[in-house]
Amino acid sequence: MKKRRVAITGLGLINPYGEGDVEDFFARIMRGESAVRYHTLSNSPRPLALPLVACSHFNPIAVLGPPLANAMDRFSHFAVASALSAWQDSGLAKHSNRDDYGVSWGTGSGGSLTIERGYQTLYFENKEKVSPLSIVLAMNNSAASHIAMQLGLGGPCITSTVACASSSVAIGEAFRRIREGAVNLMLVGGSEAPLSYGVIRAWQAMRVLSEGDATTAYRACRPFSANRAGLTLAEGGAALVIEDWEHALARNARIYAEIAGYGNTCDRTHIARPDSGGQARAIAAALADSGLHPHEIDYVNAHDTSTVEGDAIEIQSIKTVFGEHAGKLAVSATKSMHGHSLGAASAIEALITTLALYHQAIPPTANVTEIGADCAGVDHVLIKGRSNVPVRAALSNSFAFGGSNAVLAFRSVTSS
Amino acid sequence: MPHDNDMNDLALIQNFLKDRVASASVDKIVPDATLTELGIDSLMLVELIFEFEDKTGITVPSDIPLPNTVGELLQQLKDIRSQQATK
Repeated sequence: MKKRRVAITGLGLINPYGEGDVEDFFARIMRGESAVRYHTLSNSPRPLALPLVACSHFNPIAVLGPPLANAMDRFSHFAVASALSAWQDSGLAKHSNRDDYGVSWGTGSGGSLTIERGYQTLYFENKEKVSPLSIVLAMNNSAASHIAMQLGLGGPCITSTVACASSSVAIGEAFRRIREGAVNLMLVGGSEAPLSYGVIRAWQAMRVLSEGDATTAYRACRPFSANRAGLTLAEGGAALVIEDWEHALARNARIYAEIAGYGNTCDRTHIARPDSGGQARAIAAALADSGLHPHEIDYVNAHDTSTVEGDAIEIQSIKTVFGEHAGKLAVSATKSMHGHSLGAASAIEALITTLALYHQAIPPTANVTEIGADCAGVDHVLIKGRSNVPVRAALSNSFAFGGSNAVLAFRSVTSS
Repeated sequence: MPHDNDMNDLALIQNFLKDRVASASVDKIVPDATLTELGIDSLMLVELIFEFEDKTGITVPSDIPLPNTVGELLQQLKDIRSQQATK
Protein backbone atom coordinates (compact mmCIF):
# COMPACT_ATOMS: atom_id res chain seq x y z
CA MET A 1 0.00 0.00 0.00
CA LYS A 2 1.31 3.42 -0.93
CA LYS A 3 2.20 5.49 2.12
CA ARG A 4 0.64 8.92 2.38
CA ARG A 5 2.77 12.05 2.69
CA VAL A 6 2.41 14.34 5.71
CA ALA A 7 2.33 18.13 5.43
CA ILE A 8 2.96 20.72 8.15
CA THR A 9 0.34 23.43 7.70
CA GLY A 10 0.10 25.36 10.97
CA LEU A 11 2.53 26.66 13.59
CA GLY A 12 2.01 28.26 16.99
CA LEU A 13 4.01 28.78 20.16
CA ILE A 14 4.33 30.63 23.42
CA ASN A 15 6.98 33.09 22.32
CA PRO A 16 9.59 33.31 25.11
CA TYR A 17 10.70 36.72 23.83
CA GLY A 18 7.31 38.40 24.26
CA GLU A 19 4.12 38.94 22.34
CA GLY A 20 5.39 38.31 18.81
CA ASP A 21 4.23 35.52 16.49
CA VAL A 22 6.22 32.52 15.19
CA GLU A 23 7.92 34.65 12.53
CA ASP A 24 9.07 37.12 15.20
CA PHE A 25 10.37 34.18 17.23
CA PHE A 26 12.24 32.71 14.25
CA ALA A 27 13.75 36.09 13.31
CA ARG A 28 15.14 36.44 16.85
CA ILE A 29 16.47 32.89 16.76
CA MET A 30 18.21 33.66 13.43
CA ARG A 31 19.81 36.73 15.00
CA GLY A 32 21.16 34.63 17.85
CA GLU A 33 19.17 36.43 20.56
CA SER A 34 19.03 34.63 23.88
CA ALA A 35 15.74 34.58 25.82
CA VAL A 36 17.58 33.49 28.97
CA ARG A 37 17.36 35.91 31.88
CA TYR A 38 18.36 35.87 35.54
CA HIS A 39 15.11 35.13 37.36
CA THR A 40 14.27 35.25 41.02
CA LEU A 41 11.67 32.61 41.74
CA SER A 42 8.55 33.85 43.52
CA ASN A 43 6.73 31.84 46.20
CA SER A 44 9.82 29.89 47.18
CA PRO A 45 10.60 29.09 50.84
CA ARG A 46 14.22 30.19 50.37
CA PRO A 47 15.63 32.75 47.95
CA LEU A 48 16.35 31.17 44.59
CA ALA A 49 17.64 32.99 41.52
CA LEU A 50 19.24 31.47 38.42
CA PRO A 51 19.32 31.74 34.61
CA LEU A 52 15.96 30.61 33.21
CA VAL A 53 13.62 31.17 30.29
CA ALA A 54 10.31 32.19 31.83
CA CYS A 55 7.32 33.24 29.74
CA SER A 56 6.50 35.98 32.24
CA HIS A 57 4.58 38.07 29.70
CA PHE A 58 2.11 35.25 29.05
CA ASN A 59 -1.20 36.00 30.75
CA PRO A 60 -3.51 32.96 30.58
CA ILE A 61 -6.53 34.91 31.84
CA ALA A 62 -6.16 37.44 29.03
CA VAL A 63 -5.45 34.83 26.34
CA LEU A 64 -7.92 32.10 27.32
CA GLY A 65 -10.49 33.87 29.49
CA PRO A 66 -11.11 33.21 33.21
CA PRO A 67 -13.34 30.11 32.97
CA LEU A 68 -10.89 28.16 30.81
CA ALA A 69 -7.74 29.46 32.50
CA ASN A 70 -9.07 28.61 35.98
CA ALA A 71 -9.76 25.02 34.89
CA MET A 72 -6.17 24.30 33.82
CA ASP A 73 -2.60 23.95 35.07
CA ARG A 74 0.02 26.24 33.50
CA PHE A 75 1.31 23.48 31.19
CA SER A 76 -2.21 23.23 29.75
CA HIS A 77 -2.37 27.02 29.39
CA PHE A 78 0.72 26.81 27.19
CA ALA A 79 -0.77 23.85 25.31
CA VAL A 80 -4.15 25.35 24.50
CA ALA A 81 -2.78 28.81 23.68
CA SER A 82 -0.15 27.45 21.28
CA ALA A 83 -2.65 24.99 19.77
CA LEU A 84 -5.22 27.73 19.12
CA SER A 85 -2.49 29.79 17.48
CA ALA A 86 -1.35 26.93 15.24
CA TRP A 87 -4.94 26.11 14.35
CA GLN A 88 -5.64 29.69 13.31
CA ASP A 89 -2.39 29.72 11.32
CA SER A 90 -3.49 26.59 9.44
CA GLY A 91 -6.70 28.26 8.21
CA LEU A 92 -8.95 25.50 9.56
CA ALA A 93 -12.49 26.16 10.82
CA LYS A 94 -12.49 27.26 14.46
CA HIS A 95 -14.31 24.21 15.84
CA SER A 96 -13.97 21.27 13.50
CA ASN A 97 -16.16 18.50 14.99
CA ARG A 98 -14.14 15.94 13.05
CA ASP A 99 -13.54 12.38 14.18
CA ASP A 100 -10.74 11.89 11.65
CA TYR A 101 -8.74 14.66 13.35
CA GLY A 102 -6.84 14.04 16.60
CA VAL A 103 -4.32 15.31 19.14
CA SER A 104 -0.88 14.00 20.03
CA TRP A 105 0.80 15.99 22.80
CA GLY A 106 4.05 15.72 24.71
CA THR A 107 4.86 16.68 28.28
CA GLY A 108 7.52 15.46 30.67
CA SER A 109 5.87 16.14 33.99
CA GLY A 110 2.40 17.53 33.20
CA GLY A 111 0.79 19.48 36.02
CA SER A 112 3.70 19.44 38.44
CA LEU A 113 2.85 22.97 39.60
CA THR A 114 -0.57 21.77 40.72
CA ILE A 115 0.98 18.83 42.58
CA GLU A 116 3.50 21.10 44.30
CA ARG A 117 0.73 23.54 45.25
CA GLY A 118 -1.24 20.65 46.75
CA TYR A 119 1.73 19.57 48.86
CA GLN A 120 2.16 23.12 50.13
CA THR A 121 -1.50 23.22 51.13
CA LEU A 122 -1.35 19.92 52.97
CA TYR A 123 2.11 19.94 54.53
CA PHE A 124 2.87 23.61 55.15
CA GLU A 125 -0.53 25.29 55.48
CA ASN A 126 -1.75 22.27 57.45
CA LYS A 127 -5.09 22.16 55.65
CA GLU A 128 -7.06 18.96 55.28
CA LYS A 129 -8.18 19.40 51.70
CA VAL A 130 -6.80 20.38 48.31
CA SER A 131 -8.63 21.71 45.26
CA PRO A 132 -11.16 19.18 43.92
CA LEU A 133 -9.67 19.94 40.50
CA SER A 134 -6.19 18.74 41.56
CA ILE A 135 -6.36 15.46 39.67
CA VAL A 136 -7.79 16.84 36.44
CA LEU A 137 -5.38 19.78 36.47
CA ALA A 138 -2.31 17.68 37.17
CA MET A 139 -2.83 14.61 34.98
CA ASN A 140 -0.48 14.54 32.00
CA ASN A 141 -3.23 14.04 29.43
CA SER A 142 -5.26 17.06 30.51
CA ALA A 143 -3.52 19.33 27.97
CA ALA A 144 -4.37 17.05 25.05
CA SER A 145 -7.97 16.71 26.24
CA HIS A 146 -8.42 20.47 26.58
CA ILE A 147 -7.05 20.94 23.05
CA ALA A 148 -9.47 18.30 21.71
CA MET A 149 -12.38 20.01 23.45
CA GLN A 150 -11.45 23.47 22.22
CA LEU A 151 -10.94 22.44 18.61
CA GLY A 152 -13.51 19.64 18.31
CA LEU A 153 -11.05 16.85 17.57
CA GLY A 154 -12.77 13.48 18.01
CA GLY A 155 -10.02 11.13 16.82
CA PRO A 156 -7.10 9.78 18.83
CA CYS A 157 -6.15 11.86 21.89
CA ILE A 158 -2.66 10.73 22.88
CA THR A 159 -0.12 11.97 25.41
CA SER A 160 3.55 11.00 25.27
CA THR A 161 5.69 11.29 28.39
CA VAL A 162 9.24 10.50 27.34
CA ALA A 163 11.21 13.13 29.29
CA CYS A 164 13.01 15.48 26.88
CA ALA A 165 11.87 13.56 23.80
CA SER A 166 8.16 13.75 24.73
CA SER A 167 7.15 16.11 21.94
CA SER A 168 9.16 14.50 19.17
CA VAL A 169 7.64 11.15 20.09
CA ALA A 170 4.20 12.80 20.09
CA ILE A 171 4.87 14.26 16.63
CA GLY A 172 6.42 11.07 15.28
CA GLU A 173 3.63 8.79 16.45
CA ALA A 174 1.02 11.17 14.98
CA PHE A 175 3.00 11.32 11.71
CA ARG A 176 2.81 7.54 11.44
CA ARG A 177 -0.95 7.49 12.03
CA ILE A 178 -1.53 10.00 9.25
CA ARG A 179 0.89 8.27 6.89
CA GLU A 180 -0.84 4.94 7.44
CA GLY A 181 -4.27 6.43 6.83
CA ALA A 182 -5.73 6.02 10.34
CA VAL A 183 -6.44 9.76 10.60
CA ASN A 184 -6.29 12.74 8.26
CA LEU A 185 -5.00 15.47 10.56
CA MET A 186 -3.39 15.80 13.99
CA LEU A 187 -2.69 18.75 16.24
CA VAL A 188 0.74 17.93 17.70
CA GLY A 189 3.33 19.50 19.96
CA GLY A 190 4.21 19.77 23.61
CA SER A 191 4.27 21.96 26.69
CA GLU A 192 6.01 22.13 30.04
CA ALA A 193 5.74 24.32 33.15
CA PRO A 194 8.65 23.20 35.33
CA LEU A 195 9.67 26.45 37.00
CA SER A 196 8.70 25.58 40.56
CA TYR A 197 10.95 25.50 43.61
CA GLY A 198 10.80 21.72 44.00
CA VAL A 199 11.46 20.93 40.34
CA ILE A 200 14.37 23.38 40.06
CA ARG A 201 15.94 22.04 43.26
CA ALA A 202 15.68 18.52 41.83
CA TRP A 203 17.49 19.59 38.66
CA GLN A 204 20.12 21.42 40.70
CA ALA A 205 20.71 18.24 42.67
CA MET A 206 21.69 16.49 39.44
CA ARG A 207 24.36 19.20 38.97
CA VAL A 208 23.39 19.84 35.37
CA LEU A 209 22.11 23.44 35.57
CA SER A 210 24.23 26.31 34.32
CA GLU A 211 25.08 28.94 36.92
CA GLY A 212 25.05 32.66 36.24
CA ASP A 213 24.10 36.09 37.47
CA ALA A 214 22.29 39.12 36.10
CA THR A 215 25.16 40.01 33.78
CA THR A 216 26.03 36.51 32.52
CA ALA A 217 22.64 34.79 32.42
CA TYR A 218 22.11 35.74 28.76
CA ARG A 219 25.04 33.48 27.81
CA ALA A 220 24.38 30.72 30.37
CA CYS A 221 23.57 28.08 27.75
CA ARG A 222 26.56 27.41 25.45
CA PRO A 223 26.17 24.04 23.67
CA PHE A 224 29.35 22.63 22.07
CA SER A 225 31.43 25.37 23.70
CA ALA A 226 34.79 24.60 25.23
CA ASN A 227 33.50 26.22 28.42
CA ARG A 228 29.94 24.84 28.39
CA ALA A 229 28.66 24.41 31.91
CA GLY A 230 25.17 22.98 31.98
CA LEU A 231 21.63 23.42 30.73
CA THR A 232 19.15 26.24 31.26
CA LEU A 233 15.61 25.32 32.29
CA ALA A 234 12.71 26.89 30.42
CA GLU A 235 8.93 26.80 30.33
CA GLY A 236 6.78 27.03 27.22
CA GLY A 237 4.95 25.22 24.49
CA ALA A 238 4.67 24.84 20.74
CA ALA A 239 2.10 23.30 18.42
CA LEU A 240 2.01 22.16 14.80
CA VAL A 241 -0.88 21.15 12.56
CA ILE A 242 0.13 18.16 10.48
CA GLU A 243 -2.09 16.50 7.90
CA ASP A 244 -2.33 14.18 4.91
CA TRP A 245 -0.69 15.93 1.94
CA GLU A 246 -3.74 15.49 -0.34
CA HIS A 247 -6.02 16.74 2.42
CA ALA A 248 -3.88 19.88 2.68
CA LEU A 249 -3.90 20.42 -1.08
CA ALA A 250 -7.66 19.91 -1.26
CA ARG A 251 -8.28 22.75 1.17
CA ASN A 252 -5.58 24.91 -0.45
CA ALA A 253 -3.55 25.10 2.76
CA ARG A 254 -0.12 26.66 3.01
CA ILE A 255 2.43 23.85 3.39
CA TYR A 256 5.49 24.85 5.41
CA ALA A 257 7.36 21.59 4.98
CA GLU A 258 6.92 17.82 4.93
CA ILE A 259 7.53 15.42 7.79
CA ALA A 260 9.35 12.66 5.96
CA GLY A 261 10.51 10.21 8.61
CA TYR A 262 10.75 9.24 12.26
CA GLY A 263 13.24 7.13 14.15
CA ASN A 264 12.74 5.93 17.73
CA THR A 265 15.20 3.83 19.72
CA CYS A 266 16.30 3.11 23.27
CA ASP A 267 19.94 3.08 24.43
CA ARG A 268 19.07 0.23 26.79
CA THR A 269 22.19 1.06 28.81
CA HIS A 270 21.71 3.77 31.49
CA ILE A 271 18.84 5.81 32.94
CA ALA A 272 20.65 9.17 32.54
CA ARG A 273 23.95 8.79 30.67
CA PRO A 274 23.35 9.00 26.89
CA ASP A 275 24.79 6.37 24.58
CA SER A 276 26.07 7.20 21.13
CA GLY A 277 25.10 3.82 19.73
CA GLY A 278 21.42 4.26 20.57
CA GLN A 279 21.41 7.82 19.25
CA ALA A 280 23.06 6.82 15.97
CA ARG A 281 20.49 4.06 15.50
CA ALA A 282 17.69 6.61 15.92
CA ILE A 283 19.25 8.99 13.37
CA ALA A 284 19.77 6.14 10.90
CA ALA A 285 16.22 4.92 11.49
CA ALA A 286 14.77 8.36 10.72
CA LEU A 287 16.82 8.56 7.52
CA ALA A 288 15.76 5.08 6.44
CA ASP A 289 12.12 5.81 7.25
CA SER A 290 12.22 9.00 5.18
CA GLY A 291 14.05 7.55 2.21
CA LEU A 292 16.44 10.51 2.41
CA HIS A 293 20.12 9.95 1.67
CA PRO A 294 22.51 11.39 4.28
CA HIS A 295 23.90 13.73 1.61
CA GLU A 296 20.46 15.32 1.23
CA ILE A 297 20.45 16.50 4.86
CA ASP A 298 21.59 20.12 4.96
CA TYR A 299 20.82 20.89 8.61
CA VAL A 300 20.56 19.12 11.96
CA ASN A 301 18.83 20.81 14.87
CA ALA A 302 20.75 19.09 17.64
CA HIS A 303 19.37 18.06 20.98
CA ASP A 304 22.46 19.37 22.74
CA THR A 305 21.63 21.05 26.01
CA SER A 306 25.09 22.40 26.95
CA THR A 307 26.17 19.59 29.25
CA VAL A 308 29.81 18.52 29.18
CA GLU A 309 29.09 14.88 28.50
CA GLY A 310 25.90 14.97 26.44
CA ASP A 311 27.04 17.43 23.76
CA ALA A 312 30.14 15.44 22.83
CA ILE A 313 28.18 12.18 22.64
CA GLU A 314 25.63 13.66 20.21
CA ILE A 315 28.35 14.98 17.90
CA GLN A 316 29.90 11.50 17.93
CA SER A 317 26.51 10.03 16.99
CA ILE A 318 26.14 12.44 14.06
CA LYS A 319 29.64 11.63 12.82
CA THR A 320 28.94 7.90 13.08
CA VAL A 321 25.90 8.14 10.81
CA PHE A 322 27.06 10.81 8.37
CA GLY A 323 30.70 9.81 8.02
CA GLU A 324 32.62 12.19 5.73
CA HIS A 325 29.49 14.27 5.07
CA ALA A 326 29.44 15.30 8.75
CA GLY A 327 32.15 17.89 8.08
CA LYS A 328 29.83 19.70 5.64
CA LEU A 329 26.69 19.18 7.71
CA ALA A 330 25.33 22.37 9.30
CA VAL A 331 24.51 21.74 12.97
CA SER A 332 23.14 24.06 15.64
CA ALA A 333 21.64 23.80 19.10
CA THR A 334 18.90 26.40 19.48
CA LYS A 335 18.46 25.65 23.19
CA SER A 336 21.27 28.19 23.54
CA MET A 337 18.48 30.76 23.02
CA HIS A 338 15.11 29.25 23.99
CA GLY A 339 16.49 27.12 26.79
CA HIS A 340 15.50 23.58 27.67
CA SER A 341 11.78 23.27 28.20
CA LEU A 342 12.08 19.49 28.71
CA GLY A 343 8.94 17.85 27.30
CA ALA A 344 8.18 20.92 25.18
CA ALA A 345 11.69 21.40 23.78
CA SER A 346 11.42 19.11 20.79
CA ALA A 347 8.13 20.71 19.70
CA ILE A 348 9.84 24.12 19.72
CA GLU A 349 12.78 22.62 17.81
CA ALA A 350 10.45 20.94 15.29
CA LEU A 351 8.85 24.33 14.73
CA ILE A 352 12.28 25.95 14.23
CA THR A 353 13.37 23.19 11.84
CA THR A 354 10.15 23.61 9.88
CA LEU A 355 10.75 27.35 9.51
CA ALA A 356 14.38 26.70 8.55
CA LEU A 357 13.10 24.64 5.62
CA TYR A 358 10.34 27.12 4.79
CA HIS A 359 12.69 30.11 4.75
CA GLN A 360 15.77 28.24 3.48
CA ALA A 361 17.73 29.48 6.46
CA ILE A 362 19.83 27.85 9.15
CA PRO A 363 19.61 29.10 12.75
CA PRO A 364 22.74 29.34 14.90
CA THR A 365 24.06 28.11 18.21
CA ALA A 366 24.34 31.32 20.23
CA ASN A 367 26.89 32.32 22.86
CA VAL A 368 29.74 30.16 21.54
CA THR A 369 33.08 31.54 20.43
CA GLU A 370 35.26 28.45 20.82
CA ILE A 371 34.05 24.95 20.01
CA GLY A 372 35.15 22.25 22.44
CA ALA A 373 37.64 19.81 20.92
CA ASP A 374 35.27 16.95 21.75
CA CYS A 375 32.47 18.63 19.73
CA ALA A 376 34.44 19.33 16.54
CA GLY A 377 33.92 17.62 13.20
CA VAL A 378 30.65 19.13 11.94
CA ASP A 379 29.85 22.49 10.32
CA HIS A 380 28.87 24.47 13.43
CA VAL A 381 26.66 27.49 12.70
CA LEU A 382 27.62 29.96 15.41
CA ILE A 383 26.33 33.30 16.74
CA LYS A 384 24.26 34.35 13.68
CA GLY A 385 22.09 32.26 11.38
CA ARG A 386 22.69 31.75 7.65
CA SER A 387 19.99 33.12 5.35
CA ASN A 388 19.31 32.21 1.74
CA VAL A 389 21.11 28.89 1.82
CA PRO A 390 19.78 25.65 0.35
CA VAL A 391 18.07 23.50 2.98
CA ARG A 392 16.65 20.48 1.15
CA ALA A 393 16.06 18.34 4.20
CA ALA A 394 16.76 18.52 7.92
CA LEU A 395 16.72 16.46 11.09
CA SER A 396 15.62 17.35 14.60
CA ASN A 397 17.26 15.20 17.28
CA SER A 398 15.81 14.57 20.73
CA PHE A 399 17.67 12.39 23.22
CA ALA A 400 15.99 11.92 26.58
CA PHE A 401 16.74 10.60 30.05
CA GLY A 402 15.78 6.97 30.09
CA GLY A 403 17.89 6.47 26.98
CA SER A 404 14.91 7.28 24.76
CA ASN A 405 15.89 8.70 21.38
CA ALA A 406 13.54 10.26 18.83
CA VAL A 407 14.60 11.82 15.54
CA LEU A 408 12.30 13.55 13.07
CA ALA A 409 13.23 14.00 9.39
CA PHE A 410 11.80 16.93 7.45
CA ARG A 411 11.88 17.75 3.73
CA SER A 412 11.39 21.18 2.15
CA VAL A 413 8.40 21.67 -0.14
CA THR A 414 10.63 22.93 -2.95
CA SER A 415 12.76 19.79 -2.99
CA SER A 416 9.90 17.31 -2.71
CA MET B 1 -36.32 40.61 53.70
CA PRO B 2 -33.19 38.47 53.03
CA HIS B 3 -30.67 38.19 55.85
CA ASP B 4 -27.20 39.69 55.31
CA ASN B 5 -25.66 36.20 55.32
CA ASP B 6 -28.01 35.11 52.50
CA MET B 7 -26.96 38.10 50.40
CA ASN B 8 -23.31 37.40 51.16
CA ASP B 9 -23.71 33.76 50.14
CA LEU B 10 -25.33 34.75 46.84
CA ALA B 11 -22.56 37.28 46.20
CA LEU B 12 -19.96 34.60 46.96
CA ILE B 13 -21.60 32.23 44.45
CA GLN B 14 -21.83 34.97 41.83
CA ASN B 15 -18.24 36.01 42.33
CA PHE B 16 -17.03 32.42 42.14
CA LEU B 17 -18.95 31.55 38.99
CA LYS B 18 -18.12 34.63 36.94
CA ASP B 19 -14.49 33.43 36.77
CA ARG B 20 -15.38 29.84 35.95
CA VAL B 21 -18.41 29.69 33.69
CA ALA B 22 -18.23 31.71 30.50
CA SER B 23 -21.99 32.05 30.08
CA ALA B 24 -22.78 32.77 33.76
CA SER B 25 -23.20 36.51 33.83
CA VAL B 26 -24.07 37.80 37.29
CA ASP B 27 -27.67 38.65 36.36
CA LYS B 28 -28.28 34.97 35.46
CA ILE B 29 -27.08 33.71 38.85
CA VAL B 30 -30.35 34.08 40.70
CA PRO B 31 -32.12 31.73 43.16
CA ASP B 32 -34.40 30.25 40.47
CA ALA B 33 -31.50 29.37 38.13
CA THR B 34 -30.68 25.66 37.92
CA LEU B 35 -27.08 24.56 38.36
CA THR B 36 -27.33 22.67 35.06
CA GLU B 37 -28.32 25.74 33.06
CA LEU B 38 -25.50 27.70 34.67
CA GLY B 39 -23.02 25.01 33.61
CA ILE B 40 -22.08 23.97 37.15
CA ASP B 41 -20.89 20.36 37.27
CA SER B 42 -20.26 18.26 40.38
CA LEU B 43 -16.54 19.17 40.55
CA MET B 44 -17.32 22.85 40.31
CA LEU B 45 -19.89 22.51 43.08
CA VAL B 46 -17.24 20.97 45.35
CA GLU B 47 -14.90 23.87 44.48
CA LEU B 48 -17.68 26.30 45.35
CA ILE B 49 -18.34 24.58 48.68
CA PHE B 50 -14.61 24.67 49.51
CA GLU B 51 -14.62 28.39 48.68
CA PHE B 52 -17.59 28.87 51.02
CA GLU B 53 -15.79 26.99 53.80
CA ASP B 54 -12.60 29.02 53.35
CA LYS B 55 -14.45 32.32 53.32
CA THR B 56 -16.83 31.62 56.22
CA GLY B 57 -14.98 29.12 58.39
CA ILE B 58 -18.10 26.93 58.30
CA THR B 59 -17.68 23.22 57.52
CA VAL B 60 -20.11 21.79 54.98
CA PRO B 61 -20.82 18.05 55.49
CA SER B 62 -19.66 15.93 52.54
CA ASP B 63 -22.98 14.10 52.36
CA ILE B 64 -25.29 17.04 51.64
CA PRO B 65 -27.74 16.25 48.82
CA LEU B 66 -26.98 17.77 45.41
CA PRO B 67 -29.04 20.94 44.99
CA ASN B 68 -30.92 21.60 41.74
CA THR B 69 -31.05 25.37 41.93
CA VAL B 70 -29.05 28.26 43.31
CA GLY B 71 -31.95 28.82 45.75
CA GLU B 72 -31.70 25.26 47.08
CA LEU B 73 -27.93 25.68 47.52
CA LEU B 74 -28.48 28.94 49.40
CA GLN B 75 -31.03 27.25 51.66
CA GLN B 76 -28.60 24.39 52.38
CA LEU B 77 -25.85 26.85 53.29
CA LYS B 78 -28.30 28.78 55.48
CA ASP B 79 -29.37 25.59 57.30
CA ILE B 80 -25.74 24.53 57.88
CA ARG B 81 -24.91 28.00 59.15
CA SER B 82 -27.79 27.95 61.65
CA GLN B 83 -27.05 24.37 62.78
CA GLN B 84 -23.42 25.20 63.50
CA ALA B 85 -24.40 28.47 65.25
CA THR B 86 -26.57 26.51 67.73
CA LYS B 87 -23.83 23.99 68.57
